[in-house]
Amino acid sequence: MTSSDIDTADRLTRKRARMLPFLALIFVTQQISYFVEADARVRMVDHVKVGAWLLLSVVLLLALATGGFWFRPKTVRALMDDEVTRANRAEAFRIGFLATMIAGIGLYFLDQFAPMRGRETIHILVTIGIATALIVFGALERRALRDG
Amino acid sequence: MAETLGNRLLALRTERDLTQAALAELVGVSRKTINTVENGVFVPSTLLALKLARALGRPVEDLFFLDG
Repeated sequence: MTSSDIDTADRLTRKRARMLPFLALIFVTQQISYFVEADARVRMVDHVKVGAWLLLSVVLLLALATGGFWFRPKTVRALMDDEVTRANRAEAFRIGFLATMIAGIGLYFLDQFAPMRGRETIHILVTIGIATALIVFGALERRALRDG
Repeated sequence: MAETLGNRLLALRTERDLTQAALAELVGVSRKTINTVENGVFVPSTLLALKLARALGRPVEDLFFLDG
């Protein structure tokens, strides 16, 4: 491990902390069009939209779980995934899980007034879980990087 | 009564003329980790506490103490 690795990890960690809330925002705003344009008819474009959401969900979940930057050297990635990062990630997953459970309970209650399809429910729960974890992880990482 | 972990990392690091990045390199962690431990934002594991003590050439009790 060299000082250059430390500098690179530091730079990329800052970049990741800045990027995460924006990724969450993009992820959530992408869902708005899905629900606003909800229609009983299934068109080709809907399959593309669901495919895009699914792909983005998997990529964001993997980035959250592993720290991302998969094509960087192993030493840099290890530095970006040290004790503090792992603790921040665990906290982000904890809050994300709680948010998903609360949303699940809320949706279960709402379902008696406005029934929803299973697919829509899963879509909302996955979106809430991933977006919450991204925001919390980003906020904790930014706090950890703050000097003084 | 809630006890927290206090530390003298900043004082001992500056005493040895080390930057956060230099200490991070000696210990094999990121600068962020040194920063969060120094600021009391993060409570390090025993392993990291021992590595920090070894890097600064001091017993671990000199670095960390119970506060409150």
